[in-house]
Amino acid sequence: MGKNKEKGKVIVVTSGKGGVGKTTTVANISSALARMGHKIVVMDLDIGLKKLDLILGLENRIIYDIVQVIEGECTLKQAMVKDKRFPHLYMLPAAQTRNKDDIKPEQVKVICEQLRPEFDYIIIDCPAGIEQGFRNAIAAADSAIVVTNPEVSAVRDADRIIGMLESAEFKDIKLVVNRLQASMVKSGDMLSIDDLLEHLCIDLLGIVPEDRKVLISTNKGEPIVLNGNSAAGTAFNNIARRMNGEELDFPTFEDDSFWSKLRNLGRNLFPNK
Amino acid sequence: MLDFLKRIFNDNSSRKQANDRLRVVLTHDRTGASTQLMETLKEEILQVISRHVEIEGKPDVRIIREGRRSALDINIPLKGR
Repeated sequence: MGKNKEKGKVIVVTSGKGGVGKTTTVANISSALARMGHKIVVMDLDIGLKKLDLILGLENRIIYDIVQVIEGECTLKQAMVKDKRFPHLYMLPAAQTRNKDDIKPEQVKVICEQLRPEFDYIIIDCPAGIEQGFRNAIAAADSAIVVTNPEVSAVRDADRIIGMLESAEFKDIKLVVNRLQASMVKSGDMLSIDDLLEHLCIDLLGIVPEDRKVLISTNKGEPIVLNGNSAAGTAFNNIARRMNGEELDFPTFEDDSFWSKLRNLGRNLFPNK
Repeated sequence: MLDFLKRIFNDNSSRKQANDRLRVVLTHDRTGASTQLMETLKEEILQVISRHVEIEGKPDVRIIREGRRSALDINIPLKGR
């Protein structure tokens, strides 16, 4: 670890609500960044309810977990699982038979400090909720990615999480909208990207469309970014490229049909209707 | 015909309802202000104001959002002489 080497960035992926696609997002942006040649470690902090190993297809390779590292039963290196598909991707597994209170924010900080010189990105999979698990996950992070769905309860929880991140002095908080269905937005039955940005007021990092291929790749334990012709895979790849500093346009789901233009005209003419 | 135009221009979509509900709920979540609290606030503010000047018309006390910040918006019409 030379003095000139830039230290790795610690990024927490969080959402408040469960089931919006945090772990899928972590698995895919990590795989995509690793494929680009970055050295990545993913840290599963969902102690007691681990999923990342399954999503990544690494469940059979685990020997030790993060709680054992903290309790001194093994070294950090021994616990890290190497992904055979991506030579630069490592996973630090969660413990399944323990719970969130078994680790403390300070201990996560110590582990991250040990990892920073060795990796470009340390990506933390945060558990759902706003309790101890959340506090552990944000303790060492430099920036945050908030994942949400275009659905009222997910947006409400995302707003709460953003508020808590701001209270914890986070300056870099970005939004990933998962499971968007453009056709439903067009027909007026789903919140649009603009709606979500209006409510949450943070920068957009990515839009992932609803895609049946995600479940299929989860079944197999293969990240969807490996599937070049899937819409969700492309979206996750684009997120990784944006994290890497590339400026990519967001797909527009603008409704340009005759009827919507007429409706917009009507709204402008009679604003209070 | 009028009915037809109304149907096109009147946005009653579930998306609009979701947005309207979120606006209310997020404002309350962020400030911790319940509907009950807003009523109490309005009542007491009006009491203080009316002790000094005469109020006319419909006063309005509500929370408005600017980005992620919230502000108390008080609009109290006063009686002219």
